Amino acid sequence: MPPRHEPLPADVAAWACEFLGVDELPPEGPFVPRDRLVEFATALKNDHDFLFFVYCAATHYLAEGEPGSDGALPDRTVVAYRVRRLPDRRRGRPTQTFPFRVVVPTGESTPSLAGVWVGADWQEREQLDLVGTVFQGHPDPRRVMMPDDWPGHPLRRDYAIDTAHFPWR
Amino acid sequence: MRMPLDLLLPSWPDPHLDLGEYDPEADLVALNMGPQHPSTHGVLRVKLYLDGETVVKAVPYVGYLHRGVEKLCEKLTYVQITPIVDKNDYVSPMMNEWAVNAAFEALLGVEPPPRAQYMRTIFAEIQRIASHLISIGTWGLDMGGAIGGGATVFLYCLRERELILDLFEEVTGCRFHYNTHTVGGMRHDLPAGWDKRAKAVLDRISARTWEYERFLLDNPICRQRAEGIAVVDPTLAMELGVSGPILRASGVDYDMRRDAPYGAYGDIDIQVPVRTEGDALARALVRIAEMRESARIASTLLDGVPEGPIGALKPVKLHGAVKLKDGEEGYAAIESPRGELGTYVVAARERRGAASPYRLKIRSPSYHAISLLPWLCPGHTLSDVVVIIGSIDPIMGEVDR
Amino acid sequence: MNEQDQAFRHPLYDMVEGVARFPGVDVAFTTADKVLTWSQRNSLWVFPMATSCCGIEFMAASSSRFDLDRIGTIPRATPRHCDVMIIAGTITVKMAPRVKKLWDQMPEPKWAIAMGSCAISGDFYRDIYSVVPGVDTFMPVDVYVPGCPPNPDGLLEGLRRLQDKIRRKRAGEWVEPDRRPPPGMRAPSIPRIGDPARSPRIDDAQLDSVMHLDPGGALRRSGAPPLPPVPPAEEEG
Repeated sequence: MPPRHEPLPADVAAWACEFLGVDELPPEGPFVPRDRLVEFATALKNDHDFLFFVYCAATHYLAEGEPGSDGALPDRTVVAYRVRRLPDRRRGRPTQTFPFRVVVPTGESTPSLAGVWVGADWQEREQLDLVGTVFQGHPDPRRVMMPDDWPGHPLRRDYAIDTAHFPWR
Repeated sequence: MRMPLDLLLPSWPDPHLDLGEYDPEADLVALNMGPQHPSTHGVLRVKLYLDGETVVKAVPYVGYLHRGVEKLCEKLTYVQITPIVDKNDYVSPMMNEWAVNAAFEALLGVEPPPRAQYMRTIFAEIQRIASHLISIGTWGLDMGGAIGGGATVFLYCLRERELILDLFEEVTGCRFHYNTHTVGGMRHDLPAGWDKRAKAVLDRISARTWEYERFLLDNPICRQRAEGIAVVDPTLAMELGVSGPILRASGVDYDMRRDAPYGAYGDIDIQVPVRTEGDALARALVRIAEMRESARIASTLLDGVPEGPIGALKPVKLHGAVKLKDGEEGYAAIESPRGELGTYVVAARERRGAASPYRLKIRSPSYHAISLLPWLCPGHTLSDVVVIIGSIDPIMGEVDR
Repeated sequence: MNEQDQAFRHPLYDMVEGVARFPGVDVAFTTADKVLTWSQRNSLWVFPMATSCCGIEFMAASSSRFDLDRIGTIPRATPRHCDVMIIAGTITVKMAPRVKKLWDQMPEPKWAIAMGSCAISGDFYRDIYSVVPGVDTFMPVDVYVPGCPPNPDGLLEGLRRLQDKIRRKRAGEWVEPDRRPPPGMRAPSIPRIGDPARSPRIDDAQLDSVMHLDPGGALRRSGAPPLPPVPPAEEEG
């Protein structure tokens, strides 16, 4: 049976527990408070060698009507990041990834990580376009997939999949 | 030829650069390349700001093929997703299928039987050859066309690719868009005698790769247009998330098949071709070397395909049985011909499990490679832009999804 | 009959009629017409509007094994040299004005082939917010080549069908319009060209949107005059 999640690297997990003040990290990655996100990411990159930016994916959750949630959560977006460090053959370290997540209530913003990893620039632009998450301090906050004058953000849960767009569909 | 332009090139130029002393209205010519242009490999559009013949700034515009695959996947069951993602990277559909099914299997806790793993690995390696053949062929066409000798490479590469498509057609019934992976295994078993035919084709292609290498290296037009063009800085490439042959051509020895083995790659020793030049020619040579290595891997694995079932789950039950639980999320990645192709899945928050994902993101290597363009193009001439786009080998279906 | 009552008659007509009265000239003219038709239908240069997967299959069709050159078909990369546009792949809302613009740039006589199910109907993307449900909602299509993607053989067959159509049209025969392949499918949100339900305001709006295409990334330029009003979903008649 393969592991459900790639295990978190032990040294980084210990550091992250200390940084976030928690005892244990969930295997899908810890939730980082928004005000410490840039600090967290910079330390990951500079001190722990996570140079490779894998992805940034935002998921929109509606406020109510979800049996799994407590019901008290607001309308929000969860942005999941994942970074990777390449194998270090001298120290015998395999390639490892580290995921972390940020919760962004709708109407608020999260700091952009484009200043830390340049690859976050285009990834965050895509999430901004499709999910509508606002990244504060993003160098180039234009739409990337949809035309500039497109109404709405398609990957939000309240966006109908067959929205019409006169005169083309 | 590369034009010296030392006025705005520090270690790497800032793609959001304000144009400095240039007045964009008076000094520069804005030129749109695409979205319908024969050498943008699909519907990529690049807006180029030119000072004479030299590119000062390049702004890629994507999204002309945005088909809303991620939104569509939220409406489909896990089993129905496979044929949809086939169309993302339409040059290597096997890879897409494997990438999504690997993520679902990891979250479900299902492991495909060894025969399915071997078949997946063999198909993936053969598909990698087909994909690189298209890449090399169209790149040759971009550089030389019919006069510069590029059409020869193109026609030869497409001839070899047809042999591979015949192999897959025999197994799955389609030339591409196979829909042969499924959650927990494969749909189609290998026909009798397929391994011998596959080996014959692989031997033939493996021998011919030397010919392609000579076509590129012995052709003075090709060398002049590709050598020293668009050198990729490895640190920049890593920060951008660029992987695959682009990263390996810049001297970073990283390949998920060897460093994070999946499928049947753990059973075999893989030689990863690495070059240090980082230019457009090096990327093509890495691709050609990878074709040889893939042919070797596939031939070796064909000898040891284990007997047994090809699926871990019963096919009739698949639609109802494949359900992920309460809000779980996960990520799995494979090494596609263009780099790390991964899938990030969030399962729906339902207690008894839902048959369709809540959110599915495809981490496509081409999207990251396209974001290299603003760094690569400045300082080169207009004609080099064609070579650069061809050498990073973007597939727009995968970029726009 | 006095001279003013006569309609204008070009002197050339007299000459042509005079020449045609010679024995054998009409035979020569019809033969010349046949030769012209033959050369026209056997040198169809195509403009590959290749956006996605079908573009790869088009590439395979035009190269080594299948070799479109055999039937006189050469892919050219500019619309101004071409007779046939092959729409190979999904057309999105962002791309559709560009396709229409390129189609309008092609010189007459011109034909269009919708290759693959995405171009025919949008296929399984037809309900998605960004995909045009078939190219014949904004441009006329002569031949539909079904498949996802169609085999190169299928494309060759489609081109042969188009050649046959051209021959019969020039010979003055009635040609049945190509049927869209899956007949039972739901109608697209925009009525197709040739559909009686299609309002001319849709044509106006599409043309207007093409004329005011914004190079910066929006679908319409910001200072452009407003679009014609949206037609109601169901019109009488």
